[in-house]
Order: sequence, then structure tokens, then C-alpha cells
Amino acid sequence: MKKIRVDHLSRVEGHGAITVEIEGKKVKDVKFEILEGPRLFETLTIGKLPEENVSVVPRICAICTLSHKNASLRGVEKCLGIEVPQKVALMRELMMLGENVESNALHVYLLALPDILGYPNAIAMVDKYAEAVTEGLTLKKFGNRIMEITAARATHGENPIIGGFGRYPSKEDLLELKDTAIKLLPAANKVVELLGPMDFKYSEDEKTTFACVNPPKNEFGYVADSIILSDGKVFDAEEYTKVTNEKIVPHSYAKRSSYKGAPYTVGAIARMNNLGDRLKGQAGKYYKKFSNDRWLTNPLYNNVAQAIELVYDLELLPGLVDKILKLKDPEIVKPNRQTGKGTGAVEAPRGTLYHSYEIKDGRMSKVDIITPTAQNLDDSERYLRKTAQKMLEKGKKDDEIKRHMEIIARAYDPCISCSAHLVKLVRR
Amino acid sequence: MANQLPRVGIYGLTGCAGDQLTIINCEDEILALFGAADIRSFVMAKSDNTEDEMDVAFVEGSVSTEEDLSMLKDIRKRSKILIAIGGCASCGGPQSGRALEKNWKDRIKQVYGNTKFEIPDAKEHQPLSAHVKVDGVIPGCPIDKGEFLRAVSRIVNGDMPIAYKYPVCVECKYNENECLLLKGIPCIGPLTAAGCDSVCVNHNIPCVGCRGPVIEANVASEYKLLLEKKFSKEDIVNRAMMFGGVKMAELLENLKGAKK
Repeated sequence: MKKIRVDHLSRVEGHGAITVEIEGKKVKDVKFEILEGPRLFETLTIGKLPEENVSVVPRICAICTLSHKNASLRGVEKCLGIEVPQKVALMRELMMLGENVESNALHVYLLALPDILGYPNAIAMVDKYAEAVTEGLTLKKFGNRIMEITAARATHGENPIIGGFGRYPSKEDLLELKDTAIKLLPAANKVVELLGPMDFKYSEDEKTTFACVNPPKNEFGYVADSIILSDGKVFDAEEYTKVTNEKIVPHSYAKRSSYKGAPYTVGAIARMNNLGDRLKGQAGKYYKKFSNDRWLTNPLYNNVAQAIELVYDLELLPGLVDKILKLKDPEIVKPNRQTGKGTGAVEAPRGTLYHSYEIKDGRMSKVDIITPTAQNLDDSERYLRKTAQKMLEKGKKDDEIKRHMEIIARAYDPCISCSAHLVKLVRR
Repeated sequence: MANQLPRVGIYGLTGCAGDQLTIINCEDEILALFGAADIRSFVMAKSDNTEDEMDVAFVEGSVSTEEDLSMLKDIRKRSKILIAIGGCASCGGPQSGRALEKNWKDRIKQVYGNTKFEIPDAKEHQPLSAHVKVDGVIPGCPIDKGEFLRAVSRIVNGDMPIAYKYPVCVECKYNENECLLLKGIPCIGPLTAAGCDSVCVNHNIPCVGCRGPVIEANVASEYKLLLEKKFSKEDIVNRAMMFGGVKMAELLENLKGAKK
């Protein structure tokens, strides 16, 4: 038996590895291992106050910090019977755009483009693609700026609180965001035009199911109280366990999810496949122009979906700022009960994130958190396995197999992965 | 370090990677940073990493697994200076927020049932100083960009980073914020190391203590003050433990009556 192992995924947060076990010409097993120590976030705030929960849980992930914050706020507010005014909802939408721009720019330009253009990393691309690298960094910085202005810090900002915001941004700051979004839109258009026509060949094609939130009024977006699947089924966010069906596996501290007994995919590609028809403006035109049947069968198109989202974000932002500027700063909404249940579902950049809570007498009594990377693990393993098997049959060399394994894993934009260049081969 | 660039490694153990992300977010300074130091290893940011002798290692994250520990010991062995970056590395982080209760095994069971894992056991999260000698600390959840860059320029010039020896309250006063404690809001600024420019209180939000306990924090006095404001013992301890982790637990254990 032979093992191909991608030992330490670099350019990622956390410790992850991929092992491909080979016997003769057959792939016996593929494991996407999450080697990160368990932090037991679901137990940390039991018995504590909801506001403490809202501060602590975003620390699950620095890159998705505001998605965790927003899912947590929505879960807690449902428990406590809080409905936030329009300005609060719009400000939260704005902060989510910030996180999406930052995360998608980082992944599309600095992590995925080097793979697609055949470079070891973004710095090595500078000679030939200086403009793309600079534009990627500028977009990423803009995402951080949006988060600084809305959440008070680029990472782990505390300004979004239960029932509202601690302080609202100044008119000058909001107008700065509007102007910058307009200025940067051409850069986002350019990267869609670059990636859109590409034919991705790193992964084998196979059908899967896509899941994402289902925003009301037939709109595209990152927040909703219902979940839509590519098989047409719609669930209330409170019924999330019917989608996720979480289980524990002995080789990883990350739990696994499956829908109707099969793996499914979340993330930008799921949002495009399920909600792309709802996109308007330039983002809508790009979706119509570039989407095709392979988007339903190949995870690599996630990169194009993320690029189209950058266009969506930048197109949406100016109007959002105008709406926010017209509204008065509301008072913080107080709870009208101290006991209740509620689930907050949002689209983190890398997919649907659930925070489901129960609060009893003003104390957290149940916390269940399901992250997008955990939901994608089974599906990524499936594509990795199928691709490794096909490559073995074609007599491909180990190094090439490993490279493809890394590229497929990275396409999912998992919080622990992105890329894997420190590769070790284990022969038995 | 005089003639050649200092060799630097930037590492992450168990945590959210927010401190390494803050370094990556130095968009305007990162090229200067790469120019002033020979960044030989930064696994989160680049692919061509060399693991050998380091003049300085910056380490994020807490120690929970065997892998964390062996990685930390290896980094310590080959680094002249080891700096803990962020709340997890300096205090144990939010994941050690129940360290005072010593219930790690029960909580593992709550999340994973009786699963027999094929991967090494994980233990209660500890700061780096529980296992190796730490030469300097840049606290925060996450670290502050400016503080990190100042620390790097000091180290590059043969000096050490300076810790903030006063609490958030000092910065809060400079910012002319109204004291939230006087309004009866549970703020743990008095226990928390400064360096954040009192960002939360500037936004009308009580300090959550994300920079960890300030050196010689007067826990007894804050505890008494909050009791007078009618907060329960349990809530005061919970608040202090949100980000204070193992370091705060040590301070609280010395405090009679606060321990649960």
C-alpha cells in the first residue's frame, strides 16, 4: 500500500492534511484531515450571558469573524424576540459585504490565480501580472476598510451588538466606502472577464447538491431565514438539521454533514447555481454569460463564482450606503423575553453558517454551530477521490496527483486550507 | 543581526489565525516588512518555507494537542527570541475561558460523545509560557497592527517589544469617554492591558478584555466594585474569563470567594 500525503496545508489558517491511500491501481481511501485542536466553542458560553456569547463565538475564525457575529446576533435576537430596525439590518448587510470582498479577493487573486496561471504563489506572479496582484490587494484592503468602519476593527470588531450597533459610522466614512466601491468595480469586472471563459480541468466532473440561504423577494444575498437546495427543496432555517445531518468521524475533530445521505456543497458556487438567476446589473450579465452545465459538476468554478460576487458586492454597496444615510440612528432594541429558541443562518464567504441557540432565563442553554468548511468536507473528499482514481488510471505521477489534490481542496476555499505546498509522500 | 537581515518565522498553533491575518492585513507595510527581515517561514502566507535557525519566532495560538506541543518545542529550540502573539498564545485565549472550572473532559464528551478518536488526544488549552520560555508578548484578540510593527522594528534593531503596563482605562480617559462602570455597565477595562486605544468603549461598548490581564491587575478592587454594582460573583468571573483565559484564572484563583 502506498500513501500520498499533503502533510501541512500552507497559506491556510490552521492545520490540515490530505491523505490518499493507494493499493495497486486503486484509490482505497481519501481523507481530508482537520488536525486543529478542538476548542469546544459550543460549551464555552453555556450558562453565560447572550452578549458574552456574541463576543466570544466570532473568535472561531478570523476570516469569517463577521459572519459568525451576524449568525450569532440573529440566533440570539430570535431567542429574545428582538426585531432590529431597517438601519441595523442595512448596516449588517454592509459589514457582510466587507467580509465577502476581503475574503473573495484574497482567495481569487492571491490563492487561486497562482494555480490557474501556473505560479507557486502570488508574489511570483508580480513580474507578469503586477496589475492583478495590486488590484487583488487593493480590493482586499477595501474589504477590511468596510469592516473597520462598520464593526470597529478589521478582525473581531465588537461594534455590532444585540439589538443594534454601539456607534454608527460618520457620513464621511460611509461616503468614502461608496466612492471606493465605484472606483474598484472595473477591477472586479476585469477578473471575471479573465476567469469566466476558462475551462477548468483539475477535477473530475460529478453531480452534487448545492445549498445556500434563500433571501426573500427573489433576491440574491448573504442573509435569510430559509435555506434553498439545488433539488428545489426549501427549508426554514430552524430546520437546518434536515440539511446538515451532522455526524462525528474518528479521524478528525471536525464533524461531517450530509444531505439525503450524500455529500453537498456550500459556498459561492452554491449561491451562483441556486440564486444566480436573481442577480441584476453587471453581475447578472456575467452570470448569464459565463455559467454553464459544468458549474453544476465541477468545484473549480467556485473561483469564477467568487469573482462574480465581487462584482455583485461592489455594485450593491453605493445604493446601500445611500439608504443607510437616509435613516436616523435607532435606539438599541431591548429583549422582550428571556427564554426562547432561534437559529441564525448566514452565508459566510465559504458557505452557509448556522448558529442555533436556546436561551433560558437570560442564560445560554444550548449552542450548536455548523460551519461551511465542515459541510464541504465530504464533498471535497469525493471529488479528491474520483480525481485521484482517474489520474492513477491514466498513469499520472505522484507529484501531479498531489498538485491536483491541493488545487481541488483549495477551490473550496476552506478556512483551514486554500493551498498545500508542503507535500510529503509516504511509501509503504 | 547587524549585517544580515534577521531571520524570522511566523507560526500558528491552535487558534483562529487572526493574529497572522492581522500581519497579512498590513497591506501598506508588508513589503517593507519583508524587506527589513528575512521571513523564512510564514506557512499561512507563503509556500516556500525554510525551517531552520531563527533569530525571532512569532507564535500565535494555544497549546492543546501533541502536535501543537512538539511544534512549539521545535520552534523554541531553533529560535533565539520567541514572541507570543495574540490572546491564545499569551493567555490561553477564549478557548481556555473555562480553565477555572477544570472540566475539559466533560466538555469534550458534550461535543463528541464517547467517540474514540484515531488522532492524538487534545487537552485544555494553555498559553505558550506553560511549556516553554517566552521572551516577549504582543497581546490582543487580535493583535494590533501598529503594536506588531513597532515590536518588529524594535527587534530588528536589537531591542525588545515594550508591554503596556497600564490598563485600558488610561487610554479611555485620554479619549474622554464617560466611565461605563459609573453607569453600572460591567466593563473590565481596569483589568485589561491597554494598547487598543479603548476601541470598544469609544463605541459605547464595555471592554470585553480581549487583550488579557494587565501586569499587576487589581482584580480584588474590580471584583469589589462590580459586587457593589450588584453583579453576581459568577457573572464577574465569567466576564473576566471571556478572554483572560489561563492567565486570568491564575489571578482569580488567588481571590477568595470568586472561585466557583
